[in-house]
Amino acid sequence: MSTPAAAARLRDRLTTASMVGPALLLFVVMLVVPVGLSIYLSLTDWNGYSANPAIVGLQNYLDLARSEEAIRAGWVTLLIAAVGTVLLSVLGLGFALLVNGASRLNAFFRVVLFYPHVLSALVVGFLWSAVLGTSGVVNGFLTSKGAEVLPFLSNPNWALASLIGVLVWAGFGVNVVLYLAGLQTVSRDLLEAARIDGASPRQTFLNVTLPALAPVVTVNLVLSLVTLLKTYDLVVSLTGGGPAGSTQTAAYLILWDSFHNNALGFGSAQSVVLMLVTAGLALTVARLRSRVDQGVKA
Amino acid sequence: MARSIGALAAIAILVGAAGCGGGFSDEGSAGGPTGEVRMLVNITPNLTKGYWEELVKPFEEANPGVDVKIEAPTGQGVKDTLPQLLAAGNAPDVVETLMADKTLAPQMLELTDQAWTKDTPLVEQAALDSKVYTVGVGQQAQSLVFYNKEAFAKAGISEPPKNLDELTAAMGKLKTAGYLPLQTAGDYVTGLQLLQLSDPSIATKHPDWYQQVNSKQLSVGQTMLPLLQRYESWIENGYVDKNALGLDDVNAQTSFLTGKSAMYIMGSWFVRTAESQKPTFDLGVFAAPTEAGQPYPGPQGVTMAAPYMVLKSTKQRDLAVKLVEWLVSDQEAVQSQLAQDGNFRKGFTDKLTPLGKQVQDILDQAPKHVAQGEGYGANTLPQGFNGEWNKAVQSLYTGKSAPDVAKRIDSWMGSKS
Repeated sequence: MSTPAAAARLRDRLTTASMVGPALLLFVVMLVVPVGLSIYLSLTDWNGYSANPAIVGLQNYLDLARSEEAIRAGWVTLLIAAVGTVLLSVLGLGFALLVNGASRLNAFFRVVLFYPHVLSALVVGFLWSAVLGTSGVVNGFLTSKGAEVLPFLSNPNWALASLIGVLVWAGFGVNVVLYLAGLQTVSRDLLEAARIDGASPRQTFLNVTLPALAPVVTVNLVLSLVTLLKTYDLVVSLTGGGPAGSTQTAAYLILWDSFHNNALGFGSAQSVVLMLVTAGLALTVARLRSRVDQGVKA
Repeated sequence: MARSIGALAAIAILVGAAGCGGGFSDEGSAGGPTGEVRMLVNITPNLTKGYWEELVKPFEEANPGVDVKIEAPTGQGVKDTLPQLLAAGNAPDVVETLMADKTLAPQMLELTDQAWTKDTPLVEQAALDSKVYTVGVGQQAQSLVFYNKEAFAKAGISEPPKNLDELTAAMGKLKTAGYLPLQTAGDYVTGLQLLQLSDPSIATKHPDWYQQVNSKQLSVGQTMLPLLQRYESWIENGYVDKNALGLDDVNAQTSFLTGKSAMYIMGSWFVRTAESQKPTFDLGVFAAPTEAGQPYPGPQGVTMAAPYMVLKSTKQRDLAVKLVEWLVSDQEAVQSQLAQDGNFRKGFTDKLTPLGKQVQDILDQAPKHVAQGEGYGANTLPQGFNGEWNKAVQSLYTGKSAPDVAKRIDSWMGSKS
């Protein structure tokens, strides 16, 4: 026999379930099922067309471990992620400090800084290839002055540097916004106290502002790292993975192998590994940063 | 993090849909005399969606109640869109651009018993185990060298080179005359040009090259090494721009058509591009040279232009087959497609431009038409060969030697066996 209290508990549970249910369903359908299928596919030889892919065990992972191209793409991705994350964070903070303040000019510059992020990565890539290409704007100017062409996109090292540069240009608006939000939370009292105590701007920044921004730094680092680890569309539109495959990233190679080479099983194995590496790196950074955050609070 | 996982698992979403769809064993059905036929087509600057819709209008008018729905790729192209549509259980009835290989054939309707297919270009060469799945509108000549006649005259070259030694010598003269001898580019162009150049000499020296490579009597690297070494010397001598990999195909074409470079190796589709840009110099074309000592002209690399296939899963089989038959047989439809994308077909020479006629002559004079690169029909290499070859050839520009490139491509071929 149900009591009023039990009925109330049941109502509460139903309410909770009705609120959590849709989100949980979406989570399962959009994340858990695809990840599960991806893992399953990585154990098959599916080519994208066959009705009954054969189970090949860990063969795709063994092939991946032996693939010089995939290993190279992995290192390229890690390099882009490491250098890009540092640049995004440093430049994001630097520009946030420059435009932090309530003036119309600052508002204008904030819009300008954020604008590249609004553009499609494909558009950004095509735009910059028109600027940096061998017959692009920069080289056109240089050759008109009698100078040598600079190999922005034709030399492997230059192309990688160009790719990172464009990624940072296109992405750092988000970091600026996050740091600006963080800067609004820095205690005015502490800043005022530091000023009264005679601290220089540099001392104030290092000892008051930066520690207060620690949680924002963590968010920035993790977001930038995860975003850069799955760099794909800018590679397509800026370098096409070239020259000679030197700017192929892991995500680019996954799509290339999956659809160009009809090796979706192998592509899925790469996806699973990339997912694990991304999760591992993001968790490691978050864990390391949380220690810093704890230290700041203490 | 959640977004990352979602993105990384995107492929699996497609697969999930495939799993739910229960595979592709569905043979489809004949369908009725009216209804909708969905056709997935390649979209390019020449072949716009508007062009395709206009192309099929006469077919719709001749078949009241039939609606041909043109579908553009949702991915980078038809090749990656078709698996997605199949996986989602939403496959079109007809697909244009792709050719049947061992992976695709099981999903495609066999057209061997259709009498009209026998009159279509390259149908036998594209057949798999004598079974016809793919029919095309025309041919694309591949092994062509477009050249600036004024540059040749200025360099003192009286006639186009017939063998590769003469070609190399001509490059030296063109460079001395102030021209970049050979225009190339990054992207897909680098590897494609070398394949196009290799067709006549490889097919002359090894008529069964594909079979010998597949049976490991020959290796790609071994047979291509002399040409790779020659290309390496061209880079060293400045006969191609050492920064060419920073150009895309459009920039490369512009550079050639504005007279900065003297030669451009490309397929016959370039005729339309070249003529639309109206170069200020006299533009000519010659068949790719052969190795010294081999007859000239040699075999010409050809590919099928505008290939069509009907999907086995279609619910409008009769209409889909009727549409494809019309597309590759109707005089006006064929003429329109040939003209629109710069393709060729015997018996359709009336409206050819002077440059187009030169290409048709090259096709007619070639002793044999041969497959190229990944090839088709009985002459195929593993999927992905063209892309891998392109990367390998590009590495000649980034410091690798010709033997390194040969080794790299053989290693890749070995990994696919």
